[in-house]
Amino acid sequence: MSGELAVTGLRVAYNRGVPVVDGVDLRVPGGTLTALLGPSGCGKTTVLKVVAGLLTAGAGEVRIDGAPVLGLPAERRPVGMVFQKPLLFGHLTVGDNVAFGLRMRGVPRAARRSRARAMLDLVGLPDVAGRRVGELSGGQEQRVALARALVLDPRVLLLDEPFSALDAELRLRMRELVRRLQRELSTTMVFVTHDQQEAVDLADDVALMLDGRIEAVGPPSSFYADPPTLSAARFFGGVNEVRGTVTGSSFACPLGELRLGVPAPDGPGVLVVRPESLRILGADGAPNTVPATVREARFAGTHRTVVTTAGGIGLTATVAPAVPVEPGDRIPLQLPPSALRVLPDTAATDTTGADTTAAATPAAAAPVAATAPTTEDEDVRA
Amino acid sequence: MTVTRELRPATRPARVPRGLRVALLLAPALGVVVVLFGGGFVQAVAQSVGYQPYPPARDLSLDAYRALWADPAVRASVGITLRVALVSTAAAAVLGVAAALLVRSLGRTRRGFAALLQVTLPLPHAVAALAMILLLAQSGALSRVAAGLGWVDGPADFPALTQDAFGWGIIASYVWKEAPFVAVVVLAALSSGVAELEDAARALGASAAQRLRHVLLPVLAPAVAAASVLVLAFTLGSYEVPFLLGRPFPATLPVVAYQQFRDPDLAARPLAMAIAVVTAVLVGACAVAYLSLSERLRG
Repeated sequence: MSGELAVTGLRVAYNRGVPVVDGVDLRVPGGTLTALLGPSGCGKTTVLKVVAGLLTAGAGEVRIDGAPVLGLPAERRPVGMVFQKPLLFGHLTVGDNVAFGLRMRGVPRAARRSRARAMLDLVGLPDVAGRRVGELSGGQEQRVALARALVLDPRVLLLDEPFSALDAELRLRMRELVRRLQRELSTTMVFVTHDQQEAVDLADDVALMLDGRIEAVGPPSSFYADPPTLSAARFFGGVNEVRGTVTGSSFACPLGELRLGVPAPDGPGVLVVRPESLRILGADGAPNTVPATVREARFAGTHRTVVTTAGGIGLTATVAPAVPVEPGDRIPLQLPPSALRVLPDTAATDTTGADTTAAATPAAAAPVAATAPTTEDEDVRA
Repeated sequence: MTVTRELRPATRPARVPRGLRVALLLAPALGVVVVLFGGGFVQAVAQSVGYQPYPPARDLSLDAYRALWADPAVRASVGITLRVALVSTAAAAVLGVAAALLVRSLGRTRRGFAALLQVTLPLPHAVAALAMILLLAQSGALSRVAAGLGWVDGPADFPALTQDAFGWGIIASYVWKEAPFVAVVVLAALSSGVAELEDAARALGASAAQRLRHVLLPVLAPAVAAASVLVLAFTLGSYEVPFLLGRPFPATLPVVAYQQFRDPDLAARPLAMAIAVVTAVLVGACAVAYLSLSERLRG
């Protein structure tokens, strides 16, 4: 079995009210890792809990390897789950925690001990089987939780922001561990996170979820190079936005007539360009070069962030640390045609919670609107 | 002109050491405990070994403790005291846990039922005992309903559930009062992340029965045990309920101690005090067990 997960038309509402998840379609190919990415409160955990059987769906379908699973209780689904907290059982040893699921299945003691030890070896904790849970560090606890889920050989493993409570360096190591395990075991995984960097580092595919819907699905690189929607571009942070109108291959905006390297439909739209794509040239002449005034230049270690004004619009560029620009300088700023994308202006306000500090439009700086209630509501508990 | 000024560390008002401060703050409460309870206990121990503050003076001895086991009333009393305390505690624990789990499984009405559980908590035990007389005695409501339904020929034929040899009336009174207490303690324990552990167990394939056996009960065990120890201590040392609902013979230890204490023959006083001391030691052991379990619960 490949462990292909297909979620179709999923709808979940709390207290019979406004749905927190509505019309979610998601397909995760077997043996791959998909990151379900989105801001807090967008419904990611709700989707995961419905797949795991811990919440009931109002409508929709969940299939694993083609078989519908919504009618099955959580304990009979071929799904494992690692939660945000390790949720280890304090009255059991580490080894007994890992072997818990095997015990529930009636696996004999010797066999479950041996499999638990093997799984602890796999997550890099070969000598802790006899320890109490309270003797472990936070990172070790999450490794044990991972081993406890994987020992059952689930067809789909769901990970609900399992490393969000760990420090940055440990989080990186845990990501590598998950990636290694996923490759070695070929387990289908869905990894929920609100951290775009984590999603990009880990996933074969990223499913961006905003306001209870899947906004876009695709390989991580596509969200940077070719964002499918304005909201997706904003969630991945730091894009410059310029409003204007497309006519053929040119874009009329306050910066002038810009040439587009990628076609876009005629009519109004929002041009997005990443700060690292902007170039500060030595002399005018390249296409799409506009005069700009440097307002601010900040050193940021690996690069400099240069905030400029051009045509009355703020544009942010990131350049090499050695580029000699100072506030007040007038510079030629190039917007390379191949780096420009024009997207429909569907996101009037930013509900992504992403960093939009480079956005050139006031609308892009709207505050986060997190409206989904917590998932603890009993009305939809399975 | 240069002005030099001697630099001195900022002076602070003299502070009372922390330990002394805590002791002073606790002194009023500790005073009551030490003088009234500690003093009473010391008096009881002294009188149990023969000390009497009035003539004639007696030699100090452990005769009263030896006499405890020779006295058939006391031997019978130990049996009924332990029986009533253990059965009441076990029943209160089982029913309390069941009630808490049931209340937790309710939806929006959960809060209302949780509040209802607490209604019996502030009622005095004497009120509970009188309620049991009105309900369970052969002249009580239950016997008359049974007679009315034709289950028994008349109310007097209804089984004796108060002033009975086993102590059913006493047990019923204690369970009515203490099961809600256990339930409230368990509900508090259930609110601290247990649902998440159950979700984790479900995701690992545990059925409802397996979750109860392997997750819920072990997680709740320290809280249930701590509450049960408190119930056991109370039922061992309580006087008014067995006095109102029990037989004069065999009576529970606190009742026997009071009967001996009321004896006009002052020679019976050491025996009364020995019974009181034994009861106090049993309750003290329960208190130590409670503290130990509470420590585990916190850990």
